[in-house]
Amino acid sequence: MNMFDDPSMREIVIDFCDESDKLFDQLENHLNILEQNPRSSSDLEKFGQIIDRIMGAAKSIGAHEIAKFCELGKLIGYKSSQISDIPLIEVVVGVLFDSVLMLRKMNQALRDGNDKCMNKLNTKVFVTRLTWLSEKFKEIERSSCAIGGNLNQNSIDDLMKSLGL
Amino acid sequence: MGLKADMKILVVDDMSTMRKIIKNMLTQVGFTNISEADDGATAWPLIEGAIKEGKPFEFILSDWNMPQLNGLELLKKVRATPGMEKLPFLMITAEAEQGNVVIAVKAGVSNFIVKPFSAQVLKEKIDKIFGK
Repeated sequence: MNMFDDPSMREIVIDFCDESDKLFDQLENHLNILEQNPRSSSDLEKFGQIIDRIMGAAKSIGAHEIAKFCELGKLIGYKSSQISDIPLIEVVVGVLFDSVLMLRKMNQALRDGNDKCMNKLNTKVFVTRLTWLSEKFKEIERSSCAIGGNLNQNSIDDLMKSLGL
Repeated sequence: MGLKADMKILVVDDMSTMRKIIKNMLTQVGFTNISEADDGATAWPLIEGAIKEGKPFEFILSDWNMPQLNGLELLKKVRATPGMEKLPFLMITAEAEQGNVVIAVKAGVSNFIVKPFSAQVLKEKIDKIFGK
């Protein structure tokens, strides 16, 4: 489903942009706390929870690049909340600050309906950087409230069937 | 639509954009009586209030990840309430892991739907839950 191209859904897209802007403020507040105190792992966890909200809505309106950023940000946020390697957390906080800045620009491009502007943002380089960072946490099992790999709708349907539902 | 259009539905999601999207979809497939809450913690008083009024919700769609009371906790509260043991409860999630699905099934979830989803997929889920 891609509501992004549907004029009747434009209002929802604008609402998403407005709501996301407010959530970006919250994300930056948590990062500001972490910049002062890298041991505040609860702020990394809260970062993961907030960016998860943006991810779900971004997927639903077909804003795939924003969703991908959020997916990686969520993974990094949750996993880094479980480590005590302060130098690595400081790197994480710096990269997440940059990520939120990039998300704001992508959000603005989405609001303006400006594909050219979105292309200029060179998000692929940034995704590569986020992916590299997420690899650092490979040994940590939990990536979200989830314990292992995620299921798609078909896998869930199969599992529900096998469980008798 | 086989199900009654004015079936009392509660949509619970902490992202207002998602609530709007889901409400739009439910309207598209013919439902008219839709309430919303921005967290499990704000949904619960609505659910209790509706029971007291003698007009309980007939279907709940809830996000899993919410900051105060998450979807699983809300589901457990609902299932622990006399008369709501069988209330249709559809869990919405952006990412679902097998272990979590099993936990939710044990807690009595009616079905799962993964974001992003279309109005058609939502309708299919609803039809399945209500045994159509």
